[in-house]
Amino acid sequence: MKNLSKESILGLFLVGLFVFMSLFAPGFLASSNLKNMMFQLPEFSILALAMMVVILTAGIDLSLTFVASLSGVVIAIALSSGYSIPMALLAGLLVALACGLLNGVFVAKIGVSPILVTLGTMILFEGINLSITKGHSISGFPSAYNLIGNGYFFGLVPVSLVIMIVLIIVTTVLLNKTKWGRSVYMVGSNPIATLFSGINTSRALMWVYLFSSLMAFVASVIMTARYNSAKVDMGSAYLLQCVAAAVLGGTQIQGGYGKVIGTVYAVCIFQILSSGLNLLGVHRSIVDVMIGVILIAVLIINYVSSQLEKRKSIKEQAKSVA
Amino acid sequence: MSHFLLEMDNVSKTFPGVKALDQVQLQVKPGEVHALIGENGAGKSTLIKILAGLQEADAGAKFFFEGKEANIKKPIDATLKGISIIYQDLSLFPNLSVAENIYIGRDSENKGWERVDWNEMKRVATEALRELGVEIDVTMPVEKLSIAKQQLVEIARALAFESKLIVMDEPTSSLSTNEVEQLYKLINNLKAKGISIIFVSHKLKELFTVSDRFTVLRDGKYVGSYDKEELDETKLITLMVGRKVTYERRKEKSKVGKPVLEVEGLSKEGNFKDISFTLHEGEIIGFTGLVGAGRTELAQHIFGINNPSDGIIKISGQQVIIKSSEDAVKKGLAYIPESRQTQGLILNQSIINNISISILNQLTNLWKLIVRKKEVDLANEYVKTLDIRPALPHMSADKLSGGNQQKVVIAKWLSTKPKILIIDEPTNGIDIGAKTEIHNLLRRLASEGMGIIVISSELPEILAVSDRIIVMRNGRITGELDITEATQEKIMNYALKGKSVQQAPKYIVEEKISQGV
Amino acid sequence: MKAILKSKEMSIAAILILLCIILSYLSPAFFTFSNLTDVLKANAVLGILAIGMTLVIITGGIDVSVAAVTSAVAVITGHLMIYLPDSFLSLLVIFLVAPLCGIVFGLINGYLVAKVEIPAIVVTLGMMSIISGAILYLTNGVYVNSRNFPSIFIDFANAKILGISILVYIFFAVAALTWYVMKNTVIGRSVFAIGGNSKSAIRVGIDFKKVQMFVFAYMGFLAGIAAIVQTAYIKAIDPNGLIGFELIVIAAVVIGGANILGGRGTVFGTILGVILLGVMQNGLILAHIDTYWQKVVVGSIILLAVSYDHIQYKRAQSQLSNIKVEA
Repeated sequence: MKNLSKESILGLFLVGLFVFMSLFAPGFLASSNLKNMMFQLPEFSILALAMMVVILTAGIDLSLTFVASLSGVVIAIALSSGYSIPMALLAGLLVALACGLLNGVFVAKIGVSPILVTLGTMILFEGINLSITKGHSISGFPSAYNLIGNGYFFGLVPVSLVIMIVLIIVTTVLLNKTKWGRSVYMVGSNPIATLFSGINTSRALMWVYLFSSLMAFVASVIMTARYNSAKVDMGSAYLLQCVAAAVLGGTQIQGGYGKVIGTVYAVCIFQILSSGLNLLGVHRSIVDVMIGVILIAVLIINYVSSQLEKRKSIKEQAKSVA
Repeated sequence: MSHFLLEMDNVSKTFPGVKALDQVQLQVKPGEVHALIGENGAGKSTLIKILAGLQEADAGAKFFFEGKEANIKKPIDATLKGISIIYQDLSLFPNLSVAENIYIGRDSENKGWERVDWNEMKRVATEALRELGVEIDVTMPVEKLSIAKQQLVEIARALAFESKLIVMDEPTSSLSTNEVEQLYKLINNLKAKGISIIFVSHKLKELFTVSDRFTVLRDGKYVGSYDKEELDETKLITLMVGRKVTYERRKEKSKVGKPVLEVEGLSKEGNFKDISFTLHEGEIIGFTGLVGAGRTELAQHIFGINNPSDGIIKISGQQVIIKSSEDAVKKGLAYIPESRQTQGLILNQSIINNISISILNQLTNLWKLIVRKKEVDLANEYVKTLDIRPALPHMSADKLSGGNQQKVVIAKWLSTKPKILIIDEPTNGIDIGAKTEIHNLLRRLASEGMGIIVISSELPEILAVSDRIIVMRNGRITGELDITEATQEKIMNYALKGKSVQQAPKYIVEEKISQGV
Repeated sequence: MKAILKSKEMSIAAILILLCIILSYLSPAFFTFSNLTDVLKANAVLGILAIGMTLVIITGGIDVSVAAVTSAVAVITGHLMIYLPDSFLSLLVIFLVAPLCGIVFGLINGYLVAKVEIPAIVVTLGMMSIISGAILYLTNGVYVNSRNFPSIFIDFANAKILGISILVYIFFAVAALTWYVMKNTVIGRSVFAIGGNSKSAIRVGIDFKKVQMFVFAYMGFLAGIAAIVQTAYIKAIDPNGLIGFELIVIAAVVIGGANILGGRGTVFGTILGVILLGVMQNGLILAHIDTYWQKVVVGSIILLAVSYDHIQYKRAQSQLSNIKVEA
């Protein structure tokens, strides 16, 4: 147990939870339930990964889900006014990237703290969205588009799940194997030393916000395709859950540490918890309570164990010196 | 009943990775000025933090104040007992008034809801300032005051507390000569009232002027306590350093090659003006001057962190514009900043990641993906050649000693194969053995053809490594000396020339060491 | 005098006055007594919460659980009210219970932030999730209207003094109380001291943890008061009414000039920020501009305000570190 990383412990917890729910939640393993979970997982995990990457740089992106819904609304308008699917996707992508660019300019170039910038842009994007849609939902897409959200590969694996898995792998590779990914961790740990090491920290940060808006775009495609509509509050429930998932997954809110796999585990835990508890007849809102409790409990445990460790290491040292 | 005001005995302090204090003792008599002295990293500041209640000593420490066992766990415990600490970087609140700054903290615990007595506050503050002999409007916010006046406010705070023991950490470092004189007078007044003072300073002359007794620390250990009469500067230095001479000064200039860095008329408003010099292959130029002369700013502008407003930079004869630190690295520059912990290293990352960060581009495969093995090999190579200990490249950088941390930073830059290396205070806070090692390394790199700029406030260090010495003062170059003609006196003359010392020299001990020896 | 003119509060006030002039020109209905007092009444809850948030933000913290806590207290006291007799004492009970509940929530936040050292954003995020989940579970999201309230509470909610709703007086009382606490008590000065320089604060013996506990508890206390005002304003219990409101509260504080990294901010500035938001919303309605545009305007103002602030701050910092270069 001792040599396991935070992430592995979380993984074991996930397996345990899965087994528990399989045993006790009626119909948990039924194909309809598994299907539901597979379809809900992608949008949440893609957004959570985006949030995690921003948090790694000691930032936060409060505008994330509003970028997604704005981009979704633009796609929806394009589709419902008869543009082709590629054109609509392109429009949505450009809007998302523009949003990311705006965040990036304020955070990376001007240097304003991310929480303030994204608080402002969040309200701004929501406002633009409202001004366009008047709060109504936009629907009516070609059925080919809906396949992205509802379709299967070989009649078995949901398309969106495949997209999610690809993005998980891509994010892992980007973070661990590229200069940009390394810079993300370095900037989150110590931006000055990173700059002084000849890394263009401002560019790295800019890409972080572009990356998160790109992920928001993908999530918005999956969501609009699945719901067959787009609306201003689409996905907004995920916003704070994404932060919670990243933190539960071991990402340090002060930046510098966090692993993709941890966040993925955390998202799965949230998903299994909410499906399982639902099947157990527990009220839906109790899931929120559980998420909050788990989040705080994990951090309390972290705190206590780090205190114990500190005490132990000092004791050992005192011994070895004496 | 003991005749000491303060007695600390068997004080140890262990941090993860280091033993900062090892069974140290300190005894202060009533009404004496007690100098606490030691090199950087000797443990003075840790001892003060323990006295102040900011850190707790390891179990077993004994602590008596006014003959009674004292239990100082929090800063307020120290304050209430009559112990005031004046830190070098001051403990003021820029947004609060002078009066409040002087009065603050005396509202002890559990009185949160009590009304602040503004009149009493002003009265106390005014009186304390009068005692100090300065006139400052007590209603002014502290941020409006000059640094020197801010320090007086801090001293006034200690007076207002009617402290029995005042610890002054480098109190003269930002006072003018006049103000320093005033402080000495004040210290004598306090002594006459029976107040004890622990005086921490690097300026040996100053210490001999004000102090009655000395306690010397070295490497976290207690060396001894001595009356002023028992000591002279030479003896004190020997006690601090543990041996007599520190570095050997260079006598001859080494052969140099082509110009590698030429700087002409470089200026930046508010930082430096009209800086011109030429650095050659295989040459080490020592940049010195007082702290705040603009050396670090100059280095950071050459390295592209900031952009100069005027002037020309040429690298290997080609005129260049360095837009960013990234650009600087591409053009063959390397910069090792003054503060290892905050600017040089990413402490929570492994030695490997710290070494590879600047050349990640070169450690990739065809797909532009980083190959971990190349990183590990690189790190292993430098761990070996620079003798980084412990030789565990996966260990995080914060667990290393100062000297080994500096080697990691040097390794990072050597891996970029720079033509020009700028190194700012290369041996700050590193123990003597490691210092010499780093000096030798710099000389070796120069002999291999690198052009090196060493920025240092330690004159002996400058004299030990440089071929040529450039002295800066208030943002300008005021003198240039070949190593063959350089002496400490000449350098000091350039560094201070023609000015009343607004900012008193903050040279660290070694400078005085070699003067003493 | 020059310093006052240059202060951030003055620039917000200037924008506010300018906005008022434009609005009175655009709509005769704007500059009327009833409209202006309505604006204050409608923003009393925002104002009360923003004042509490100011203290949290000055010490470098943040509290995203305020809306949830306010809703929770509103639900608790609202349901309590249904069982209370129609007597003056009932009002008293409410005014005791609500702040007390709020303080309990605030102390939990404060304890986790100060003693367990979990970052404030994470603690309050978790608390928000827990509290709002629990409210939804317990109430099923059901809206309870005023028919079940004791009539004394309805009388209280409708009460006016000099033609101004009592809720506005509560808002101003909270502002005055907070101003007094911040100006004249030891704990209030400690909040500013920590904001000014937390390292110094610890050195001079200010108990940082205690002050953190205090600001979160005070935030909770004000959330309790805000819960009463909210219930009185909508004359109902609406478990969902304040979802997402925490970000508007933070926005008001930020517009009012507080720095989210800690250190700067005043009660007066925050009140101006709240009124600015309120007037803008009101003005857009009166000017028949689609209310949806309000968020666009607010978002843009936040971006401009924070960047302007940041650029000023950086400039001041670089000037501080300048060296006097000899001519």
